[in-house]
Amino acid sequence: MIQTLFLASLVAPFSLMLILGFSFLLRIPVQERWLSFMVKYFSLGMVGIGATLWVLVWMKSPSELLLNYGHWIEVGEYIFELPFIVDLLGATYSFLTACLIGIIFKFSRNYLHREEGYFRFTFLLTVLWLGLNIVSFARSLDLLFVGWELTGTTSVLLISYFYTQVQPVRHALKAIVSYRICDTGILAAAAWSHHYLRSTDFVALPELLEHDQGGGSLIFIGIFVIFASLAKAGQLPMSSWLPTAMEGPTPSSAVFYGALSVHLGPFLLIRFHDYIDNFPSLLIAIGVIGGLSALWATLVGRTRSDAKTMLGFATITQVGIMWIEIALGFTNFAMFHMVAHASLRTWQFLRSSSLIHDFFENPTVKQDVSIRRDLSFLRILPVRVQKKIYIHALHSFHLDYFTSRFIRGVSFPMRVLFEIEKKMMVWDNRLLVSLFRKK
Amino acid sequence: MMTSPLDFQTLLADIRSRLPLQNPLHSFVHNNILQAFEHLDFHEALKKASVLYRANTYWPVERYKQAYANKNISEVDITQALQHYDGYDHELSFLPILGIERKDFFYRLMFSELNFNDDEVQPELDDERLWMYCREKTKNESLVLSRSPVIWRAKEYWEKHHNIIFNLSIHPLMTRLISSYLDQGQSFWSNPFTQEGFWKFLAYDLEQTGSFLSGWQKVFAQKVKAAAESNPGDVILQELKSMNIPEERWESYLLDILFDLRGWAGMVNKLELEPWQATVKAPNIQLAEFIAAVLLVESSVDTFFSTTYSLDINLIRGRKDEVTLSGFQLSLGLYQITKAMKLDVRWVQKLKVPDVLALIDGVDSAENTHHIRLWHEAFEHHYHRQAIQALMRRKLSLPAPTKASAQILFCIDDREESLRRHVEEVNPSLKTFGVVGFFGIDMKFSTFKHDRFIHQCPPVIQPSRIVTEVALDTERGSFLRKIYNILGITDLAFYYQSRTMVRGLFTTLILGTLSILPMFLQVFFPEYARKIKSNLFGLFSPNLKTDILIEKTDDFHGYDVKEMGEIVRAVFDMCGIHNNFSTMVLLLGHGSSSNNNPFRQAYGCGACGGNAGIPNSRAFAKMANDPRVRQELKETGLLIPDSTVIVSGFHDTCTDEISFFDLESISPSDQIHLNEVSLHLNEACLRNALERCQRFSSVEAQVDADVAIKHVRERALDPAQPRPEYGHSKNALAIVAKRDLSLGLFLNRRSFLHSYDWELDPDGKTLAQVVLGGVPVAVNINMDYYFSLVDNENFGCGSKLALNLTSLLGVMTGSQGDLRIGLARQMVEIHEPIRNMTIIEAPLERVQKLFESHARLRNILHQHWMRLVVCDPQTGKWYQYGHLEWTELHNEGRPIPIIKNSNEALALIHSSDFLEIKA
Repeated sequence: MIQTLFLASLVAPFSLMLILGFSFLLRIPVQERWLSFMVKYFSLGMVGIGATLWVLVWMKSPSELLLNYGHWIEVGEYIFELPFIVDLLGATYSFLTACLIGIIFKFSRNYLHREEGYFRFTFLLTVLWLGLNIVSFARSLDLLFVGWELTGTTSVLLISYFYTQVQPVRHALKAIVSYRICDTGILAAAAWSHHYLRSTDFVALPELLEHDQGGGSLIFIGIFVIFASLAKAGQLPMSSWLPTAMEGPTPSSAVFYGALSVHLGPFLLIRFHDYIDNFPSLLIAIGVIGGLSALWATLVGRTRSDAKTMLGFATITQVGIMWIEIALGFTNFAMFHMVAHASLRTWQFLRSSSLIHDFFENPTVKQDVSIRRDLSFLRILPVRVQKKIYIHALHSFHLDYFTSRFIRGVSFPMRVLFEIEKKMMVWDNRLLVSLFRKK
Repeated sequence: MMTSPLDFQTLLADIRSRLPLQNPLHSFVHNNILQAFEHLDFHEALKKASVLYRANTYWPVERYKQAYANKNISEVDITQALQHYDGYDHELSFLPILGIERKDFFYRLMFSELNFNDDEVQPELDDERLWMYCREKTKNESLVLSRSPVIWRAKEYWEKHHNIIFNLSIHPLMTRLISSYLDQGQSFWSNPFTQEGFWKFLAYDLEQTGSFLSGWQKVFAQKVKAAAESNPGDVILQELKSMNIPEERWESYLLDILFDLRGWAGMVNKLELEPWQATVKAPNIQLAEFIAAVLLVESSVDTFFSTTYSLDINLIRGRKDEVTLSGFQLSLGLYQITKAMKLDVRWVQKLKVPDVLALIDGVDSAENTHHIRLWHEAFEHHYHRQAIQALMRRKLSLPAPTKASAQILFCIDDREESLRRHVEEVNPSLKTFGVVGFFGIDMKFSTFKHDRFIHQCPPVIQPSRIVTEVALDTERGSFLRKIYNILGITDLAFYYQSRTMVRGLFTTLILGTLSILPMFLQVFFPEYARKIKSNLFGLFSPNLKTDILIEKTDDFHGYDVKEMGEIVRAVFDMCGIHNNFSTMVLLLGHGSSSNNNPFRQAYGCGACGGNAGIPNSRAFAKMANDPRVRQELKETGLLIPDSTVIVSGFHDTCTDEISFFDLESISPSDQIHLNEVSLHLNEACLRNALERCQRFSSVEAQVDADVAIKHVRERALDPAQPRPEYGHSKNALAIVAKRDLSLGLFLNRRSFLHSYDWELDPDGKTLAQVVLGGVPVAVNINMDYYFSLVDNENFGCGSKLALNLTSLLGVMTGSQGDLRIGLARQMVEIHEPIRNMTIIEAPLERVQKLFESHARLRNILHQHWMRLVVCDPQTGKWYQYGHLEWTELHNEGRPIPIIKNSNEALALIHSSDFLEIKA
C-alpha cells in the first residue's frame, strides 16, 4: 500500500509533466479552461495521496520502508541506483508539498487567468512538484541531486517569469549563480563519499562511517553537504539572492521563497543528520551559520519596507533558527517548525496585497499617531548606536560589498581579466570619441 | 556663488506641477495623469508627455487599422474626423511641392506606410521605373532630419555603450533610502531620521557607509559630504551650473532625471504639500532634498564613468542625436512618398533636388505627428457619431409617462447605467435618477469602530464638517470597540513579531499551525470563510444599531437645519424632482467589495473619495426625513409631502447586492412598499450580474442569472482574483439630461448619467452644480483609464501579478524599483482609448456661459480633453463643439438595432454599443 502510494506520488507529477511538455513541444494548444480543470483534479488527487501516505507512514514510524528500483547506468565500478526511502520526514515533506502546491494551483487559477504565461507557470510548478517528491524520498545523494536540480531550475525560470524585462532576468541570474556554486557541494559530497565509502546511501553512510578507519577526510562529506544547503536556504554568505528573487507572480514567490524551495536546506541537513552527528565541529558550524544568518537577516529585515523582501528576510531568519535546532539535535522539532513556517509564509505572501487596507482599517493605527512599533532590545542602546545599526542594516551590513571583495580577492586571474576589459573599454572610447570629433 | 531664491522657487514650482499627482493607495482617486498639461491641446500635450514619460500616448497604429479592417472605423468617420482635425493649424510648407490639398494629403498619409528611415524593414519596390528615377534624383545626397533632438543627459550614452543599466545598478540605492524614509509602518523599525530631514539622513548614511562604497557611490559620498551643510536648493543650482547645463534646459533636465523615479518623486511632492494624505504620518521631507539627491547621483555617475573611461563629459552632454538619411534611404523615401501620395514618374522627373530634401524632411515629421493622431481621431469619431445618432433617434420616440411608484437616486457612475436600465425594465413605474454619489454632503466621517476620519466627498472638495457614527447601545458599542481594539493590537503584533527572530519562532509555531485552515478555506471556499468570519463577529454584535450624528454642535461638527435644507434642496433640484414626489424616494450609494486588492479604492465611489457611499446616503435620508428640514424647505418652496419617506440604501457594484439602512423609523406600510421595491431591485440585480458576466471570460456566456450572480459574488470574495470587476473600463460618455433622453437605450455600461431638468433651472445655477460636480470627475476617470491603457508600463503600474506593497504608500514591481503610478493592466485590459464626450440637454447659451466661467472646464473643453455636444431642447437642434466653434449636427437617420429587452442585448454586447429597447 505504502509503496503504491509512494510510486503514485512520483509517477503522477511525472506523467502530468510529460503530457504538458509534449503538448507544448508538439504545439497542441491547451485551453486555459482545460488546463485548470486538469490541474484541479490532479492536485486534489495528489493531496489525497500525500495525506494517506503520511498517515500510513506515521502509524508505522519510526520504522521506514527502503526501496530500490534497480540500477539505471553502470560505468565501471560506478552504479547509478534508484534507491528510495519512505519515512516520516519524506512523507511529511511530500504531504506539505501537496498541500501547498495544491493551494497555489487553486490560487493561480484565478490569479493568472487570461495570462499568457499560465501554461508555462503550471508546467513549471508540476516540474517543481516532481522535483520535490524526488528530493523527499531519495535515498542517495546521486538521486537527490536530480530533484534538487529540477527545483533549482524551475525556481530560476519562475523568477524570470516576466522575461521581457531586464530586472527579473538579472535577479534570476543572480539566483542561478548562487545555486550553481552551492550545487557543486552535492556533487563534491557524492564524489567524495563514492571514493571513500563506495556509497552515497543516506542510511548506509553513518554505518560505513563507523566501520571506516580512514578517518579525517570523511568530514569533508559533511562540509560539502552543509555548503550545498547554503544557497537553497539562503543562509550566509549565500543570502543576497533571496530577497531579490521576488520578481515572479506572487504565488510563485510564495511557494518557492516562503515555503518549499527554501526549506530544502534544512531538509537536506535533517536527512544527513545521522552522518553529521558524528562530527561535533560540523554541528557547531551549522549552529553558527544558522545563528549568524538569523541575526543578520532579522536585523536587515527590520529595516525593509516592502512586503515581499521583508518576508524574504523573515524566512532566512526562521530557517536560520531551524539550523540551530538541527545543530542541537532537535530534528523533529525542526521538522514541525518547518511545516508551520512554510504554511505561515505562504499565507503571508498570498495576502501581501491586503496590507495597506489591513493597516488602514486597524483601529489601533490612527492618523497623527504613529503605530506603536516595538524597537525591541535595541531600545536600551544609546540613540547614536541605534542609528548606526539602522543605517548598516539598511545596507544589509554590506554583504554584497564583502562578497565582491572576496570574489575579486580569491580570483586573481579574474582580476586580470577585469583590468584588461577596462583597458579595452578605454581604447574603445577613445576611438569612439575621435570618430565623434570627425563628424 | 550667488543664487537667487526666487528663481529656484519658480523652477521648483514648475517641476512640481509636472510630477505625477497620485495619492497613497489607501486614498487612491482617479486623476488625469497629465493634468499639468491641460492648458495645451490634447494632441500637443500627448506629444510633450510622451517625451517626459518615455511612453506611447496612443494605441499602436495596428490596433486602429485593425478596427478599420473590422469596419469599426468607416470611411465616413475618416472624412468627418478629417473635417474636424486640428492639423489644419500646423504649417505644412511642402504641400505646394506635392501639389495636393491638405485634406487629401492627410487622407493619403493615413493609409501610407512610410518606413524609409527604418533599417530593419525590407522595403517593397514593385515599380522599377519609378525606383530608377527616384534613385537618379537623390544620388549623392544626404539629409539630417530636422526632428533630431539634442540630448543633455549622459544616461543613454552609458546605457548604450557601457552596458550599465540604471534601473539595476544606480537607482536601487536611492529607492532603498527613500522607501525606508517614507515608510509609514510596514517595516519593524521606523526610520530614526524621519524628523530630521531627508538631506540629513542621506548625509549621515553616506558618511557611515562611506568605507564600504565603491565606484560611482564613492564619488556620490564625496559630493554629498561637500554639500551636507548647504541648502538643497543651492546645491541643485550649483551642480547644474558646474555641469554646464544651459539655464533654459534646467527644468527639462531635472524632470528627465526625476522621471526615472517618477513614482517616488511624485510621492515626495505629495507628502510635502499635503502631509495629511499620508497613511499614518508624513515624514519631514522636501522635494528639493530629493531632487538634490538624484541630481548628485546623476553627476556622480557621469563623473565616475567619464574619468574611468577617460572621456570628455562635455562631448556627451548636449550631443545631437542625429538621424541622417543617406542616398538609398532618400530614394526610398521619395519612392514611398510618391506611391503614398498617388503621384507618378512625371512628377518625380520635374522635382528639383532641394525640393526633394525639404519634402522628405517635411513628410517625415508630418508622418511622425499626424499619422497616429488621424487614426485616433477617426476611431473616436466612430463611437461618438454612433452615440449622437442613437440619442437623436431616441428623442423622436418618447414613451408615454407613467406615475412613479418610487423614485430611486443612483450615483452618476457608468456602472449604474445597466442597473438603472434593468430596474426600469423590471418595473417601468420605478423612476431612476443620477446624482453625484456623495449627495452634496462634504464630510469627514468616522465609523464607530475607529477614530480615523475618512473623506466622504470628491477629492477636489475640502470637507467642511465632521460627522461620526455612534452605537445606539452605548454600552455594547464601547464593549465592541474594545474587542476591535484588541483584535487590532493582536493583528499588528502578529504582523511584526512573525518577522522577528526569537519571538518570531513562537509566533511562527502558533500562527503557522493556525494559518493552514483559514488559508485553505479562503482559497478553496471563500464564501464559507466569509460566513464563518461574520458569524464569529456576530457573536459579539448581533445587529448592533448605529446612528450618525449630523446635528450641528460646533463650527466643525454637523450641519444646522438651514444647511441641511440647502443640501436636500440641491439634490432634488438636480434630479428635477419638484413637487412630484412619489411616496418613496430611495437613495443608493455605491461601493465595491473585493478581497486582497491593493486598488480597492479605485473601484469605490469616486464622488466619496473611493469609499462606499453608505454614510452619505444615510446622512441624506436622515436630513430629508427630518420634519424641521421639511418645514424649512416648505418655506423655500419645495414641498416634500408627509406621505413621502426617504430611504437610504447601498448598491455593491461588484456583488450586485442592495441593502437598506435605518429602517426602524419607517412606518409598516412603507416597509411593505419597500419590500416590493426591493424585490424588483433584486431581480434587476440578477439581470445586471448576467450582463456584467458577458465581460468576464472565466464564465460561460450562456448562463442563468443565478449562476451569474453567484459568480460575481465569488469574485468579490476570492483573494486570488485580480479582476473583482472591470470598474470604469470602456467609459466614454457622459449624459447630462432628463432620463427621457436616454431612457430605453442600451448604452453598454459606457456612460455616466447625470440627471438634469433644464426647465426647472432658468438661471443655470443647478446646471453649474451638476456639471462641475460630475464632468471633471468623469474626465479624470476617463483619462486615467486612457493613459493606463495606452502605455501600461509607463503610465500605469504594469501587471498586478508581481506587485509588491511598499511603505504602506504604493506598489512596486518585483523586489525593487520605482513606486508605480496609475492602474494595473488587469484593470484596464478591455478598455478602449476614447475621450469623454459629454452630452448636455440645455439651452446652448446656458452651457456656453457655464463653460466660459469655469477655468478648468474651459481648458479641457477648448483643448479637447473632452468633447461636448449640446442638445438644445428649445429649438430641438444639436450642436457639437470643436476648435472654438459650434457646428450643428444632423440626424443621419441611421437605424440602430432594436431589441425587445436587455436580455436580448447579451448576444449583441460585443458587436454593438447602442441598442434600442422597445418592448
